[in-house]
Amino acid sequence: MFLKNTWYVACQSYELTDKPLARKVCGESIAFFRGLENKAAAVEDFCPHRGAPLSLGKVCNGHLVCGYHGLEMGCDGKTVAMPGQRVRGFAPIKRFAVVERYGFIWVWPGHADLADEAAMPVFEWFENPNWAYGGGLYHIACDYRLMIDNLMDLTHETYVHATSIGQTEIDETPSKTTVDGDKVVTSRFMQNIQAPPFWQMALRANDLPDDQLVDRWQICRFTPPSHVLIEVGVALAGKGGYDAAPEHKAYSVVVDFITPETETSIHYFWGMVRQFKPQDAALTDQIRQGQGGIFSEDLGMLEQQQKNLSAHPDRALLMLNIDAGGVQSRRVIDRLLAQEAALKVAA
Amino acid sequence: MSALPDTAFEVEMASTGRVFEIPAGQSVLHTLMFEGVDIPFACEEGVCGTCLTGVKQGEVDHRDQYLTPEEQAKQDCFMPCCSRAVTARLVLDL
Repeated sequence: MFLKNTWYVACQSYELTDKPLARKVCGESIAFFRGLENKAAAVEDFCPHRGAPLSLGKVCNGHLVCGYHGLEMGCDGKTVAMPGQRVRGFAPIKRFAVVERYGFIWVWPGHADLADEAAMPVFEWFENPNWAYGGGLYHIACDYRLMIDNLMDLTHETYVHATSIGQTEIDETPSKTTVDGDKVVTSRFMQNIQAPPFWQMALRANDLPDDQLVDRWQICRFTPPSHVLIEVGVALAGKGGYDAAPEHKAYSVVVDFITPETETSIHYFWGMVRQFKPQDAALTDQIRQGQGGIFSEDLGMLEQQQKNLSAHPDRALLMLNIDAGGVQSRRVIDRLLAQEAALKVAA
Repeated sequence: MSALPDTAFEVEMASTGRVFEIPAGQSVLHTLMFEGVDIPFACEEGVCGTCLTGVKQGEVDHRDQYLTPEEQAKQDCFMPCCSRAVTARLVLDL
């Protein structure tokens, strides 16, 4: 079950070149392409002629030309031309609303006429020279809600990411979960601990000593449909922790845009924005590589977890105190799913 | 699309003078096909234009999406897969 009348990240801007891109979002097979003036467009990946995937074709003069018999599809889902054939009576195919913003192409997999650009999430750090973003994309064969659970309960770091960001103090420090409307926040603050390897690297990169005790924080923020932004960082102990002055800390925001592909697979756009040394491209690459390695550990666990769950669909799972963030996020999703279903019935 | 009810009418083949009764609910294309008069066709819904047939007499109730409104107004051709007649008989260029 997905929320469909909302915005998801479909791809990173650089993925969409002068060729079409096939990507399934929320069960919809979509052909993305760039129309005139490079404007992103999206239509269902189905040629109205003989059903070939339009994404196997090419882009010509802002139209998507089917690679089978040359039907020319426009950005609006209406056939523009067909060799040797009048097209005025062709029924349109489904088009999808898309917006290119923040280095991503966002898609509204529901009804295009309902697409509301004003409802797009707003981020202060993208396209802001005081911040740097680096990230990547993983395809993971798991329910998108398993990914949300993972990100809203960081105790797994101790076990899944033992060599990079994990440490037992995460387990030993209780987290606190609050709900504010559609937003869920799970936070944890640790004091006087050793920085784990990833944060030692970040301290060094920010010209801070890596061998002193630190205060560490993790503030996970879920917003619908499936975005999780996590403020993370360490400050030299006693300097105020989360509120320490910038010269005493290394901190960033983990950016997670989770786009359901099917009921049991996702496009996971992960990344990190940071405020320290934003112009240092080599550091951005180093962090991206580090984060990519760490997050590939999640990939392995989540896919195996999904296999187990698919093999035992009726088996009840434990919901423990550490799962509060995921439980509350799922409640928000369920409430919004019910609203969307009610709208559909009314319409 | 026509707002007229789907009623029976006749078509006549200009070349032979044969007349066919087109019942309500059945297309000219299908009726002629059953009678052994084959007209090439593809979409059967007035989109592709394959079955385009000339009309010599009578007024067509155009129901296709292939012809432009101007072409339809000329009343000199029609789509036997979906279009019907306003007059009691159409004489077709067959």
